[in-house]
Amino acid sequence: MGTIITAVVLACVVGLVIRKMIQDKKSGKSLQCGCDCAQCGGCGSKK
Amino acid sequence: MSVKIALAGNPNCGKTTLFNALTGSNQFVGNWPGVTVEKKEGRLKGNKDVVIMDLPGIYSLSPYTLEEVVARNYLINERPDAIINIVDGTNIERNLYLSTQLIELGIPVLMAVNMMDIVEKSGDKINISKLSERLGCEVTTISALKGTGIMKAAERAVALANAKKAAPKVHKFAVKVENVLTAVEDKLGSDIPEEQKRFFAVKLLEKDDKIGEQMKKVPDVSAEIEMLEKEMDDDTESIITNERYVYISSIIGECYTKAGKETLTVSDKIDKIVTNRWLALPIFAVVMIIVYAVSVTTVGTWATDWANDGVFGDGWSLFGLEIPGIPVLVEGALEAIGCADWLMGLILDGIVAGVGAVLGFVPQMLVLFIFLAFLEACGYMARVAFIMDRIFRKFGLSGKSFIPMLIGSGCGVPGVMASRTIENDRDRKMTIMTTTFVPCGAKLPIIALIAGALFGGAWWVAPSAYFVGIAAIICSGIILKKTKMFAGDPAPFVMELPAYHMPTAGNVLRSMWERGWSFMKKAGTIILLSTIVLWFLMSFGWMDGSFGMLEAEELDYSILAALGGVFAPLFAPLGWGDWKMAVAAITGLIAKENVVGTIGILFGVAEVAEDGAEIWEQLAASMSAVAAYSFLVFNLLCAPCFAAMGAIKREMNNIKWFWFAIGYQTVLAYAVSLCVYQIGMLCSAGAFGIGTVVAFLLVIGFIYLLFRPYKESTTLKVDMKKAAMGIK
Repeated sequence: MGTIITAVVLACVVGLVIRKMIQDKKSGKSLQCGCDCAQCGGCGSKK
Repeated sequence: MSVKIALAGNPNCGKTTLFNALTGSNQFVGNWPGVTVEKKEGRLKGNKDVVIMDLPGIYSLSPYTLEEVVARNYLINERPDAIINIVDGTNIERNLYLSTQLIELGIPVLMAVNMMDIVEKSGDKINISKLSERLGCEVTTISALKGTGIMKAAERAVALANAKKAAPKVHKFAVKVENVLTAVEDKLGSDIPEEQKRFFAVKLLEKDDKIGEQMKKVPDVSAEIEMLEKEMDDDTESIITNERYVYISSIIGECYTKAGKETLTVSDKIDKIVTNRWLALPIFAVVMIIVYAVSVTTVGTWATDWANDGVFGDGWSLFGLEIPGIPVLVEGALEAIGCADWLMGLILDGIVAGVGAVLGFVPQMLVLFIFLAFLEACGYMARVAFIMDRIFRKFGLSGKSFIPMLIGSGCGVPGVMASRTIENDRDRKMTIMTTTFVPCGAKLPIIALIAGALFGGAWWVAPSAYFVGIAAIICSGIILKKTKMFAGDPAPFVMELPAYHMPTAGNVLRSMWERGWSFMKKAGTIILLSTIVLWFLMSFGWMDGSFGMLEAEELDYSILAALGGVFAPLFAPLGWGDWKMAVAAITGLIAKENVVGTIGILFGVAEVAEDGAEIWEQLAASMSAVAAYSFLVFNLLCAPCFAAMGAIKREMNNIKWFWFAIGYQTVLAYAVSLCVYQIGMLCSAGAFGIGTVVAFLLVIGFIYLLFRPYKESTTLKVDMKKAAMGIK
């Protein structure tokens, strides 16, 4: 039972992480460099 | 209905500081010009109907730079309801040039004279009412840093926006110019609003080639230009510029009183030493040695030891209270609920070991980020760009290339992207190719790991990594500049040196936190997923002819070992031909933090399974110090992570150039690492072999490429086919 619960929790965490990365990518945030585009002064990509 | 207010002003006059104070935002503020390269939006505190727009710092509304184009297009096309023109009170004469252009836009303008506290401290006097009268717009005084007068300025700007009354055009050019301007204004169509006609007329007279993009119909004003140029014996752009400066000089004469004789300011006195021809470089070297040595050893080590051995280790004590480490807590919880061994292995040996190995270096990174934020905010880094310009120029790059490298010390992606502000295509390409040589934040854990595990925390390892990066940039510049692709003089570099000031603790801590938080978020996403994949690849494999899950001591039979084994021989001449190190270097392509994460998993698994030795000791036992330094150098210089490679591809906008950049970086990294290992082993252990011969040949090759004379082409090559097609 403990294994199933842990596996489900882990699967949920991984799912949420992947979902967040896809969402960030779609909304133009940089998931690659980990920087927050809205806070970053160095990147001129949003023109 | 919302009110839009734009913040416009020269670079480094305090726009973003004012923007943050008015909106409660946390935009990055740096004490060097060009921090904001795009517009940013926020809402006024206490009045959400007011939208504040932070524009990039510009010197004029002429489209010389990308920032000027962004700001000008916004002001013309979006037409904010009012402009707050922030003017640096300590340098008012230069700032007024832009002000005279903003007033011509036909938008209500409030001039906010910033840094009044410094003006008053110096004893200088600005006659605000006279200034307002001469410019024809409202003028107020503020100190954005201390927050004095800023809400009053915002209220006045909102009132001006609601009144919708543009500033009257007080400034008159010389009669001849005014006559021509009137003639040009008459030629403008009805698509140009009445209040903007003067601005467009001036721009047409200045032969601004981009202004036509903002007009439906561009009138022919060549006759007017020719007439004016003939009458005033100069080109129209110079005539207009000169007229503006005459006007500004007359304003300064009436409104600005200097306290006394021109004396050196504190900034000037500091600059006499810090930017001194002979002292500048040694001072810069000492500063960076201190920054990296303190970050990675001393303070950083204490903090990281606590994180690695305590938080991500067996536990730590707080005021006598024993707090167990995360692995202990997780293991206890998993055992309590009866979790299967394989899943415990995945969580403890994979996720906790991998992500924990990366997060363990967060304290060191935060210390480094505090130092970098302080150096940026106080104004020293702007001086470094000036100092580096002197050196960069000798091998064909300008100091402007240092700005992307400065940004790249946080993360290579924005660093590479920042290169787009470099107008010269040759300089830009060379900057893109070399920016990632500067160790980014993600490489710091690799540096710290090697310094701690293989060199006993020696102080010189971390600074040497930084200088290896700088040396790679300089040598690459020299070598590449002697090729036909990059030959030519570097573009001129003009940069205003801001006054030194003590940065606010909030600004420094905010900058540190933003960079650190980005790193932690990355550990929780990309690194976490990578560790799971790595664990599976590491835990399954073929043994005795059958595929299955492996024990900790059977790692050499894993899928990962098989994959790593393919690449490992490639790295054998560099001293780290072990499949584990090969895998670590390759996973670094996903994200550089993965190098440490992978080492954490591959060497950490033995800690749990076998003899309980520390990861660092396991790592130290697997290779010599010289091989470890070679590994460090390779990871510092080789192709960056996929994210930075993507940025390079976008910025190069050419697949051949992209592969050339990646190939160059990888070949350089391989060659330098090979030399480090082979020559290092010869010196330390007397080892001599074919590798040593290759290393010496490479060194000779390097020296030749560095010192070979550059021959300018003396023959003109003409493609006769293309030439014939061009002649019709």
